[in-house]
Amino acid sequence: MTTGEVHRAAWTDEVMGTVASIHVIADAADSIDPIPNVRACFDELHEADRLFTTYRDDSQISHLRRGTLRLDDADAQVHSVHRACVEAKTSTGGLFDAWHQGWFDPTGYVKGWAAERAAIRSLEPLIRLDGVYAVGLSVGGDMQLFTAPGSEWVWRVGIADPLRPQEVAATVEVVNGAVATSGTAERGSHILDPRNGSNAVSVAGATVVADRLSTADLWATTAVVAGFDDLSWIAAPGVRSGLVISPSGAVRRWAQGVEITQWNGSAAALF
Amino acid sequence: MKRIIYTLLATVTGVVLLLSYRTSLEAVAPASTDATGGATGTDSGTSGSGTAGSGTSGSGTPGSGSSGSESAPGSSSSASPSASASASSGLKDGSYTGQSTETRYGPVQVKITVSGGTITAVDVPVYPTESFRDQEINRRAVPQLVSETLKAQSSRIDMISGATFTSDGYIGSLQSAIDRANA
Repeated sequence: MTTGEVHRAAWTDEVMGTVASIHVIADAADSIDPIPNVRACFDELHEADRLFTTYRDDSQISHLRRGTLRLDDADAQVHSVHRACVEAKTSTGGLFDAWHQGWFDPTGYVKGWAAERAAIRSLEPLIRLDGVYAVGLSVGGDMQLFTAPGSEWVWRVGIADPLRPQEVAATVEVVNGAVATSGTAERGSHILDPRNGSNAVSVAGATVVADRLSTADLWATTAVVAGFDDLSWIAAPGVRSGLVISPSGAVRRWAQGVEITQWNGSAAALF
Repeated sequence: MKRIIYTLLATVTGVVLLLSYRTSLEAVAPASTDATGGATGTDSGTSGSGTAGSGTSGSGTPGSGSSGSESAPGSSSSASPSASASASSGLKDGSYTGQSTETRYGPVQVKITVSGGTITAVDVPVYPTESFRDQEINRRAVPQLVSETLKAQSSRIDMISGATFTSDGYIGSLQSAIDRANA
C-alpha cells in the first residue's frame, strides 16, 4: 500500500494532568470509523490514572502507601508497573528510583507505560484496516506511533526547544516507535536526582527515540538525572537515538548507541 | 589493548556504515563484517574495504522505503552495545582514528575519543554523502537540528515531543495547534 491522498483526524482528551492527542492518518475522511478505538484508548488512560495517581487518596498507589492495600491484592497493572520499576531501578543504576521518597511512587514511569499500553491495545489494531496509513498517541509530549506495513507514511516529530517556547529545536522521523522528552521546560525544574535529592539541572531537555514508549520515557527522564556530560547509557536495550540540550543550548546527539559529534561540512547540512 | 581499540574502531565504522548504507538489510551484514576484518590490521591502507559498499549491489532496494529503513535499527543495535561494552573495560584515554574504509560512495573514517575508560565521542571525519537516497535514510536515524537545516523549519510536523505540559499549558502549545488543525 503506498500513501496516496492523506486525511488526518485528531482527538484530544484531558488526562493525567495533561492532554492526550490521538491522530489517525487515512486515505479518506470516512474510510473507517476509529471512534470506538479512540474512546477505548482514552478510557484506558483514565483507568491507569485512577489506579496510579498520587493526587487522589483512593488510588491504589495511595492505598499502598498508607498500608490499606497489600501489593499482592493490587490490580494486575500495578503489579506490572511495580515489576517494571524494579527493573528500571537496576537498569538505570539507580538514576530512576520509584522508591526514593521512601514509598512506591511510580509517577515518573506510569505515563509512558500507560500510554504505550493503551496505544498498543486500542490504536495499533487500526493500522491493519484498509485505508489506514498510520495512527499515533501522544500524552503530554510523549508518543507511541504506528504505521501500516507497506505504507510510505513517516511521522515527522518536532522536538520542542526547551530554551525557546513555541519553537522546535530538532525533528526526527519515525515509522514505528516512540519518542519521549523530559526536561525542565514546561513544569519548571522538577526532576530530582534520587542519589542526593537535589534538582537535576544540567539538562534542559532530553529526547529519546525508542521502540516502546515506556523505554523512551524512562531513559528521557534518566538522561536528565544523568546530566549533560553522561551519555554512558545510550546503548540501553530498545533505545534508538536522541539528543540532550543543555541550559546554554549545547546539544549532544546519538544514534544506535554512538554519539555523533561531528560530521563533515556537507553531511552537517543534512542533520 | 591495541586489538581492543581496533575492534572498537571497526565496530564504530560498522555502525557508521549501518547508519549510512541502510538501503537494505542485505547491505548491512557485509558492511560491518568487512569493516571488522579491515580494521584489525594496521591503521593505514584501505584493504578489504570496497566490499562494504559492494555488498549493497542489490541497490534497487532503496525503493523498499520506510519499512526497510525502520527495521534496520533493530539489526544494527547488535553492533553498538559491543562498542560500549568493550569501551568500559579499561581503555586508555586518548583519541584513536580508524582506517579509512573505501565504499562505493566514498571513504568512511571514524575517530573515537576515550576518556576515563569510556568512549566519550565518536567523530566521523570523512563521511560519504554522494547518494541522495542514503542521505534521506540517514536523516531518520538521528534527530535533525533545525539550526542546521532550513528545510526542517518549513516542513510538515505531525507531533511535538516536549517536556510534559499541564492541561493549561496545552492550550498555547504547538501540539495544540497541530491538533486543532486536524480536529
